Amino acid sequence: MTTTLTGRAADRAAPSRGTARRPGPRRRVAPYLFVLPALLLFAVFKLYPIARSFVISLHRTVGGTERFVGADNYTRLMGDPLFWTALKNTAVILAVQVPVMLALATGLAVALNSGLLRGRAVFRLGFFLPMVTGLVAYGIIFSVLLNKDYGLVNWATGLVGLDPVPWLTDPLWAKVSLGLALTWHYTGYNAVILLARLQSVPAELYDAAAVDGAGAWTSFRHVTLPGLRPALLLTTVLSTIGTLQIFDEPYVLTGGGPDNATLTIGVYLYQNAFKYFDFGYASAIAYALAVLIGILGVIQFRFLGEKT
Amino acid sequence: MELERRRVLRMGGAIAAGAGLTGLTACSGTGDTGQGAGAAGEKGKGRITVWSWQGPAAQMKALVPEFNKKYPEIEVTVEDIGNPAIWDKITTGLAAGGQGLADVLHIGVDYLPGYVEKFPGGLADLAPLGADTYRDSFAQGMWQTVSPDGRRVNALPWEANSAGFYYRADLFEKAGVDAGALQTWEETIEAGKEIKQKTGAHLLGIDKPASQADAANFFQMLLQLQGSFYFNLAGDITLDSPEAVKAMTLIKTMNDAGLVSDLAGGWNTLMSSLKQGTAAVLPMPTWFGGVIEEQVPQEAGKWKVRLPPAVRRGGSVAATVNSTHLAVAGSSKHQAAAWSFIEFVLTRPSSQVQIYRGKGIAPALMKAYDDAVFHEPSAFFGGQKKGEVFLEALKAPSPAFNYTADYARALKLVTDAQSKVLLGGADPAKVLKEAADQLGRQSGRKVAR
Repeated sequence: MTTTLTGRAADRAAPSRGTARRPGPRRRVAPYLFVLPALLLFAVFKLYPIARSFVISLHRTVGGTERFVGADNYTRLMGDPLFWTALKNTAVILAVQVPVMLALATGLAVALNSGLLRGRAVFRLGFFLPMVTGLVAYGIIFSVLLNKDYGLVNWATGLVGLDPVPWLTDPLWAKVSLGLALTWHYTGYNAVILLARLQSVPAELYDAAAVDGAGAWTSFRHVTLPGLRPALLLTTVLSTIGTLQIFDEPYVLTGGGPDNATLTIGVYLYQNAFKYFDFGYASAIAYALAVLIGILGVIQFRFLGEKT
Repeated sequence: MELERRRVLRMGGAIAAGAGLTGLTACSGTGDTGQGAGAAGEKGKGRITVWSWQGPAAQMKALVPEFNKKYPEIEVTVEDIGNPAIWDKITTGLAAGGQGLADVLHIGVDYLPGYVEKFPGGLADLAPLGADTYRDSFAQGMWQTVSPDGRRVNALPWEANSAGFYYRADLFEKAGVDAGALQTWEETIEAGKEIKQKTGAHLLGIDKPASQADAANFFQMLLQLQGSFYFNLAGDITLDSPEAVKAMTLIKTMNDAGLVSDLAGGWNTLMSSLKQGTAAVLPMPTWFGGVIEEQVPQEAGKWKVRLPPAVRRGGSVAATVNSTHLAVAGSSKHQAAAWSFIEFVLTRPSSQVQIYRGKGIAPALMKAYDDAVFHEPSAFFGGQKKGEVFLEALKAPSPAFNYTADYARALKLVTDAQSKVLLGGADPAKVLKEAADQLGRQSGRKVAR
């Protein structure tokens, strides 16, 4: 049974039907043995939790027993003002912070690619370093820097006579602080992806553009940007997914406050699971989030992807 | 060939799905989290781990050598998990059916009902181990907290913290206000205005944007002084009771008069504010006295302590605002040994006296108060007998409060409501009514009106 199963399944890996040589049975088993550990790990640690979480999302724990409630958690989600607040906050961050960050990253990539810049490696390292900083560590550093009364930022702005800004305690400024922290953290990462792509844009294109009399801006618009398209798509999709799942920064910086001004879907999910022990509802939030990410991903590929 | 391949794939899929389904049913069954899994073990033998945080962890660690004199064959490891990190860690352990949990868990009153209700069997029943014999040993209301049905004992009480009123006597003196004579919070607000005008210090501080969950501590204290809470004993929501509106209105009045400093940032900000002398009053429970002594030792003699003023004239000045407890994990393989440790720490007056000396942590064990240490004048608190101040509160009639499994939700809604009042000047009655309605929707509980 096993041998026939693996033998037949292995046919899938064989070249399309009718090709000259079929590999011997021994060689057909080997690749599967090699991917087996990865597949097993994937099944145990990814597939199973994903499926299990869906099952949990259809239950509610009452008096210690899981009770099947069908789609109740999902209908509850639709009527939950806090979920919509979280969704709105996440959307605002997505709409404001991601474009700003990607524009900055593009500018940075072009600058880091410029031959005019000395010590480029140092700059690249400098901009990429925030990415390797532990999320919680930098969250705490930002919350210390941005403290209204004792923070370094307000101390510095105070030197030039500005009033202290309630960075983390005012609903609007808290959103701004969150955006600042995110931008600081991820711009360099995106710039490095864009930079890698930038270096594959043929120099001849710039030469040709120059011969045709294109200035810096024109060659940026008509050579650099089209060249960057696949990398821009990648960074946009990655940033979108990352932003929709954003948890660490608001959790450490503001705890989702004040008055839910920085509550994101991730933080709300966490609160429901680990503060309120409402695992069914938290799973429903997770599924809603997954669906949302899927839809946005498809839309972005449609609009930004290569047209075939 | 093509067909065959598909059939094989389908077969494989069916096998996988079958395995998955049986796996799921095996796990989703009764929600039993390890009850019966842990054997009681031997009372005097085993290796146990204890989870606690900062001060209490250090104090328990200090007790281990003495404990080992009595139980040489029990090996104790006390781990300082940190607070609030410990709550996430216990929650995850309980949700995983007790996997990886320590044997002894230090649990606050705010989490205990949630753990018990959401993870039945997650905590061991201490009654069969002998906890029942200590039924009358603790401060009043404590037994109802750890054993709501009077039979099952979920934990044993450790600290019983009463509402306190720590104040800078020098600032009150400078403003010409007699702190000891303040009868109500309304009078205290008037005194606060004097203090603000003459010394520049705020009356007190609150974490206005609620950057930490305990931002509502003061509100909760004002509620409990009135014998009220977020839920009544039947578990119905009382978040917008007249008492709650009164408490929130007092806070709004203080804030509107400019008497409340902002403690956004939680603990660290509170400590900086304490060192800078930003506020004249710290309306904090018993255990906070030890913190003040530790943080500003140079201010010895400037501080005093009393029970808080009443909310309404002639009302109660005593309230047990929180308590902590030691529990045994239901999954523990050394429950009997874990119990031996708990019994040693919590029911022996000398252990509790040692802990009080070390960190000022007030015991719920009434017998401990026979020791002279609770009746000594404190040099730091101007020669006052600080221990007696709080003992008076513990002895005063104090109602039990029902935290329920939905306390965390209620607290979140309260801190949001308080932020709306403090940062946006919202109407207390309106935001509390909204919070109560929202809590009703979230928890399925009735709103008592």
